[in-house]
Amino acid sequence: MMRAVLVALAVLLLGAARLPLEHQVFACRRQLHLHAPDLDLGLREQIGQLAFVAALGGFRSLVADALFIQAHVAWERTEWSRVLLLFRQVTTLQPRGLLFWDMAAWHMAWNASSAAINDSAQPRLALRVKAQRKYFDLGKDFLERGIANNPDKPQLYEAMGRLYRDKYRDHARAAEFFDKTAEKRGAPSYARRFAAYELSYCVGREREAYQRLHELYSAGERERLPTLITRLKFVEEKLNIPIDQRIPESKG
Amino acid sequence: MSEPAVAVTGLTKVFPVPLQRRSIVAVRDLNLRVDAGQVYGLLGPNGSGKSTTLKIILGLVSPTRGKTEIFGHDSSRVASRESVGFLPESPYFYKYLTAAETLRFYGKLCGMRGERLSARIDELLELVRLTEARNRRLRGFSKGMLQRIGLAQALAHEPQLVILDEPTAGVDPAGSREIRDLILDLKQRGITVLLSSHLLEQVQEVCDRVGILANGVLVREGTMTELLAVQNQTEVVLEGARPELLTQIAALATNAGARVIDQRTPQTTLEQLFLEATERSGDASR
Amino acid sequence: MKDSAHRALSFGRISALTANTLTELTRLKVFYVLLLFALLLIGSSAFMARLSFQQEFQVLKDISLGAMSIFTSLLAIVATARMLPQDLEDRTIYTILAKPVARFEYLVGKLAGVLLLLLISTLLMALLFAAVLFAREYAALAEVTRQMSSAPSEQLHDAVQAVRNATFNPDLLPGISIIYLKACLLASLTLFISTFATTNIFTIVVTVFVYFIGHIQGTAREFWLQQNGGTALSRIFLGVVALVFPDLQLFDFADDVVAGASIPFTLFANAAGLGCFYTVLYLLLSTAVFSGREL
Ligand SMILES: Nc1ncnc2c1ncn2[C@@H]1O[C@H](COP(=O)(O)OP(=O)(O)O)[C@@H](O)[C@H]1O
Ligand SMILES: [Mg+2]
Repeated sequence: MMRAVLVALAVLLLGAARLPLEHQVFACRRQLHLHAPDLDLGLREQIGQLAFVAALGGFRSLVADALFIQAHVAWERTEWSRVLLLFRQVTTLQPRGLLFWDMAAWHMAWNASSAAINDSAQPRLALRVKAQRKYFDLGKDFLERGIANNPDKPQLYEAMGRLYRDKYRDHARAAEFFDKTAEKRGAPSYARRFAAYELSYCVGREREAYQRLHELYSAGERERLPTLITRLKFVEEKLNIPIDQRIPESKG
Repeated sequence: MSEPAVAVTGLTKVFPVPLQRRSIVAVRDLNLRVDAGQVYGLLGPNGSGKSTTLKIILGLVSPTRGKTEIFGHDSSRVASRESVGFLPESPYFYKYLTAAETLRFYGKLCGMRGERLSARIDELLELVRLTEARNRRLRGFSKGMLQRIGLAQALAHEPQLVILDEPTAGVDPAGSREIRDLILDLKQRGITVLLSSHLLEQVQEVCDRVGILANGVLVREGTMTELLAVQNQTEVVLEGARPELLTQIAALATNAGARVIDQRTPQTTLEQLFLEATERSGDASR
Repeated sequence: MKDSAHRALSFGRISALTANTLTELTRLKVFYVLLLFALLLIGSSAFMARLSFQQEFQVLKDISLGAMSIFTSLLAIVATARMLPQDLEDRTIYTILAKPVARFEYLVGKLAGVLLLLLISTLLMALLFAAVLFAREYAALAEVTRQMSSAPSEQLHDAVQAVRNATFNPDLLPGISIIYLKACLLASLTLFISTFATTNIFTIVVTVFVYFIGHIQGTAREFWLQQNGGTALSRIFLGVVALVFPDLQLFDFADDVVAGASIPFTLFANAAGLGCFYTVLYLLLSTAVFSGREL
């Protein structure tokens, strides 16, 4: 009896002793965005009892993958609202999964949006455009939350740049995001180029674009890709750069 | 050696009964002393507290009051078990081990190893006559064979004291005979044996001294001769005596102031009969 | 007498118990679990054929590490839960503890046997996992090289690099180590519970209960530490949860590793330290309870 009391006391005391360390590790994880998401009752209702229990028991990635594959199937069947719902659950369960955020945004802003604009069931163009726009925003929303959860990785910034460039046709924001991409570790070498290209489309920022493009051009043969040369010539023209200061005409 | 092999003083053990207010007194104020070199038998019906006493001596159960010592070392200390071997009541061992592996395992627990351990394993298997079965798994062992492997593991580190709980219970007569012979052999080699049993005749044959437990209380204690000798009587066994001779003896006795109180044909024991019969049919080794 | 010669803690005795426990567990054919693991890995590959290679590798890694975590945890709980009750029921424990074996040594030996089994299983699963991943990487590389045979070498290099990055990730190693340490913790916890349990069903049920509470302990603890609001009763409840249960969520970073997060060394070291702390703690508590237990 005495022994049971002593053991219980030891459990409590040692529990109190290790509490600060646990809290510290927890805080460190939170800072690194590694903490598990707060699984709430809403999610439980959506993903079902069993999956919720599995997610609680430390198997949220497995549940996320299962839902991801379901989302893949829903996409093949073009069930867009289901794709959206499933990707919300997937990204809630595994907010560190860059691939999930990226896929979610891509399905919304590219696939669902083009399905919306080509929707033969909706005769009014204005409404089709509105629906398309809604899917762009959904894509952007996924990327914003993905970036908030993974601020140090270049991939989602790049995806955001592409979204602004190809869908919103907002070259200033696109340039901004390609620049952010380039600042991150492990960024692809084209991020800088892409940012400069986008700048060259921004009315009023030609001077800035010219400097960036010229700098890249001067960096060496590797950067002198056809698009770079085209964009550089375009701003040279726009800025009326004296002929002798322009880059040479490419042969052929 | 003046130090007793086992000393039990004022031992009481109370088992609480879970979820009930009452409790069981398994042993009550027990004093016991086993001198080195003795074979001591603890007798008593089932539930009289024999096993509990032995487990307390081995430190497997803690006493409620009192203390027990082995060669002067308190039973609660692990070191007290360096010089004792124990065979529990109907022992089970790891079924997936062979006889030799079992002995190797227990030998290692006693701190033996290498050449010495291997040699000792051979010796022990020889001693309990299991050499043939050395590479067989215990899964297929008979009760008697398990008892013998149990005895072998108890003797692994050549302890000065061996404690055996019901060593012959559930074993057939021939197996039981072998175990008693082994005990006598241990006694010959000066090893102290403390055993418990409820089979009285068997104890009678091997023990120097016995204690009788009833409901946890030691009711009788002493050497075999002290306990069993009937004072003032003498037994005479005759062969080929005619009835006239018997009458003459009775008369002689009366003349000398003595009295014949009983006259009968001695019988062999059933055990003796069993052993002779099975031995003749060549089945003794089973 | 031999008293002076008796060592309180003997490696020989403990290793005899450890080896015996390991033998016992292997005879129980627990390694069939590994077969199941292999089937799962190979089976899941077929079902992922329609995903892109990045997706496929992510799912493959999640499934592998998830299965490793499930299998090692289950193995830890099931193998440990039956250990003490079995020895008590068969009374083999009398023969062992009647030898000069301390109860602490007995528990250490038994637990070490389970931990060794878990180590072997984890290593085998990791090897199998690496082999499957390697085979898939090889196939993906061949595919990429074939598709891009006419592309400039720089692009091919980038593509090959992308496949490489998607398969092996150096953070997988700490991720797998932590899965192992979590299983060790669970084994030790199960041992502790089995020292006062009366049946092994009870042990398993209680351990699984602690397992789930352990995964929400973090939430309860942070709520409790914030010191704000809540009724007195709920605060006491949260406090008890925070103090009594281990935070098992801290050991779940394999998921994030697969997702692409890199784990700083200090975080890994802290988690590993906590894992060892709990394993030792539960072993000591087991000894405290078991030493007082009547056999
Ligand atoms: N662990 C235990 N818990 C409760 N009661 C016990 C325990 N062990 C023995 N007893 C009780 O103590 C008494 C003596 O038992 P035991 O020593 O086994 O007797 P014996 O060996 O002489 O047959 C019995 O009434 C038994 O029921
Ligand atoms: Mg008994």
